Amino acid sequence: MTQILVQGLVLSGFYALIAVGFTLIFSVGRVLNLAYGSFLMLGGYIYYQGAQVVGLPKLPSLLIAAIAGAVFGMLVYRILVKRLSGNVVAVEISTLILAVVVQAAVILIFSPSPKSMWPLVPGVLRIGDASVTWNIFIAAVTSWVLLGGLFLFIGKTHMGRAIRAVSMDPKGAVISGINPERANILTWAISGGFGAIAGVFLATYTQLDPNMWVTPLIIAVAVVIVGGIGSIMGSLVAAHIIGMLETITTSLIAAELRGVATMVIIIAVLLVAPRGLFGKHEL
Amino acid sequence: MIGLRSSLQRGIVGWIVFAAAMVLLPLFVGTGITRSFVFAMYLAIFAISWDIMSGRTGYISFGHPFLIGIGGYTSALLTYHLGWPLYFTIPAAIVITMIGGTLFFFPALRIRGTYFALVTLAFMELIYGLVQVVAPHVTGGTRGLSGLTSLVTGAIPNYYLALTVLLVLGFSMWLLIRTEVGTALSAIGMDEDAVRASGLNVTRLKLFAFMLSAFAAGLGGALYVHYLGSIAPRALFDVSFLFQILVACLLGGAGTITGPIAGAFFLTFLLEWLRPYIPGPERFLIYGGVALILYVTQPNGLHEMVRIALKRLSPLVAGKQTQ
Repeated sequence: MTQILVQGLVLSGFYALIAVGFTLIFSVGRVLNLAYGSFLMLGGYIYYQGAQVVGLPKLPSLLIAAIAGAVFGMLVYRILVKRLSGNVVAVEISTLILAVVVQAAVILIFSPSPKSMWPLVPGVLRIGDASVTWNIFIAAVTSWVLLGGLFLFIGKTHMGRAIRAVSMDPKGAVISGINPERANILTWAISGGFGAIAGVFLATYTQLDPNMWVTPLIIAVAVVIVGGIGSIMGSLVAAHIIGMLETITTSLIAAELRGVATMVIIIAVLLVAPRGLFGKHEL
Repeated sequence: MIGLRSSLQRGIVGWIVFAAAMVLLPLFVGTGITRSFVFAMYLAIFAISWDIMSGRTGYISFGHPFLIGIGGYTSALLTYHLGWPLYFTIPAAIVITMIGGTLFFFPALRIRGTYFALVTLAFMELIYGLVQVVAPHVTGGTRGLSGLTSLVTGAIPNYYLALTVLLVLGFSMWLLIRTEVGTALSAIGMDEDAVRASGLNVTRLKLFAFMLSAFAAGLGGALYVHYLGSIAPRALFDVSFLFQILVACLLGGAGTITGPIAGAFFLTFLLEWLRPYIPGPERFLIYGGVALILYVTQPNGLHEMVRIALKRLSPLVAGKQTQ
């Protein structure tokens, strides 16, 4: 029982980290970034290159991965999304194509075979009679810290409030003297950076391979759907619902049902409450 | 230019030329290219199926592999385990796929746009998970089934089988979107509430489009699986398969039927043309890159590009004729 609780809590924190970058773009720009999984994959591969090929220490490698993710996020916005702004379907499709292009590029540079990653922090942590790996525990802690920081940033700083204003009403934001362009590009940078960090943990949790962008994208989509658009708090709660339910199904019913539980939740929520449990805005 | 005045007549002439060229083609090319054409034609059939459901109505389906896959699996399982002849299993596959199509239809009653796309994607991922877990001794689990019986054998018979299906399906759908039904479906894509307000039964129109789409997906899926002779979850319920269908439609021009067919041929042969020059995995990078650049340049596809080009040329042509 404790095992399920601890493991579920830690996995949920990890899922929140995976989803937050995706939610942020969805609520500010009203677009689905289907290339979001590529941010994670890029983060994972750059960390691998830094820490396991070049031999840099772990923390600088993580930082480099995060910066690369942020830059990539800004580039995607500038080159692709901005050009197609206003056409939501075109943004979805073009980011999906981009994700496949990035996958091809990764196969080209790093070969299609999977690579195993060393955990950021090796060993197993015991809490009572439950045990989780230090690696996933640190991922959850990082997630809590980053999400806390994001909350402070959005609630307390001028730029953060500007981002929130754009997410509520872009026209109103412009009238009050906010540059929506800057808010958008900053959002994409944060999303890319958070995505890359999540990707490093994901790669150490599972493995690095060129298909690894699909699973986090599905998790992020599930969190956004269950939590609703425009609510970071909602996605936090949703990440916990999904993480807990998944831990319960995998440990009590069958390990193969991992993804199935998530899909059932998505379909159920979409049918019962299409705007999600905490959705504020209409699509 | 007598007889080619209306766009309908021009279109029909286009179809006849296309059909004639395709019928004669195997006489001039080798088996390898014939087989590439068979793949292109199946992709075109799937693209037509997507186009009927999503091209005009704006209900973007990210789960078409789900429909194609259940069509394929139904027929494959019935022949493999029960030994039914394909003349029974393929119609059965179509019926089951149409039932599966109603699973797409129910969410479409309540949600639109992005949300609809996501729920269909969830259906695809759900069935991918279920096929491997539920009764793997029946479905073959992750590895799938192989050694399925085929309807016809050899490259040439399969070519003509796929061509017949493509021509009949493509031409009838092309005619359909020229009727009032096609116009109404476009109108749903623009403003569904306005269509409802003008007294049309939107629900029935959507159901009609979805069932037609599922019919095409079931037929194409079953035939494709028997052509391949094997079936596996990752080959069907996969994002890269979805990618091919979507990109074929959107590069060609969604909502036009002829556009997606052109898109499917273009995509298949882009890979084939690149093969001799770039044998390695770089091919897929270029393939994706070309798709991305074309799509960003003109989100309405090749169909729109050709239309604009013809429009620009037509004053010149007309000017020459009057001289």
